Amino acid sequence: MQLATAGFVALVLVTIALISLLVLRPSLVAARGGRILGFLCLFILPLLATGLGTAAQVEHSKSTRFCLSCHVMEPYGRSLLVDDPSYVPARHFQNNRVPRDEACFTCHTNYTLFGDYKAKLRGLRHVYVNYIGTIPKQIKLYEPYNNRECLHCHAGARSFEESELHQPIRDDLARNMTSCLECHDKIHDVHGLANVKLWKEGKP
Amino acid sequence: MTTVTPVLGRRLKLSGLLVGLGLIVEALTLFWPHPTAFLVFLFVGALLVAAGVLLYLFAIVTDPAVPVPPES
Repeated sequence: MQLATAGFVALVLVTIALISLLVLRPSLVAARGGRILGFLCLFILPLLATGLGTAAQVEHSKSTRFCLSCHVMEPYGRSLLVDDPSYVPARHFQNNRVPRDEACFTCHTNYTLFGDYKAKLRGLRHVYVNYIGTIPKQIKLYEPYNNRECLHCHAGARSFEESELHQPIRDDLARNMTSCLECHDKIHDVHGLANVKLWKEGKP
Repeated sequence: MTTVTPVLGRRLKLSGLLVGLGLIVEALTLFWPHPTAFLVFLFVGALLVAAGVLLYLFAIVTDPAVPVPPES
């Protein structure tokens, strides 16, 4: 259990215990100590718990399970299991180059509930579209993929820095003038999933 | 020393129930890894908690404290 979740659950249990005391014996608030107890368990602690709960919810939305829980994202989850090293996300996922339980978030760090307020509004819009609106036939990023997300890990790595192909365009990559995806262009490719072999963990 | 009026007692109980229920809803949503859980957290759990907190504030602001009659 994550720290925010554990803290939230503990706080909720304490608050509910104190509230039960107050609900069973409202006469407690007649005394000064009872009034402080009332203020604590009906004002301070609930607001604190809701704040912690919000932090825990946002933390949960980093998880791969959370992202793939929407039906429309299932093919993207399957694309992580393609048994072909030319698929960039699959290669990263299967070789633990990204944490598997936060695979989507690691490469799409400014997405939905993360990043600025625009990203958060988009996240809420996704939920709205999923239930009430019309899901677009082709899902695409709102803006071109930023090299920053790749360089966050690859910059400074020996295999990246010493590559003869990278050296002439190193500055362009850093300035986002040349996209990494121009060469590493096999990304999720969800439309071609029917014809590829999928990797099953533990079965070489 | 003051005593608790029946109206304040009722409002405190209702406030406690709303806050408690809201917190339980909030806690349950954390065990459901789905975007809908976030909406339930926000629009059911947090709203119940907010309603309970506001009712509590309303109760203590509007309730006239009744002094306990001196013992003779």
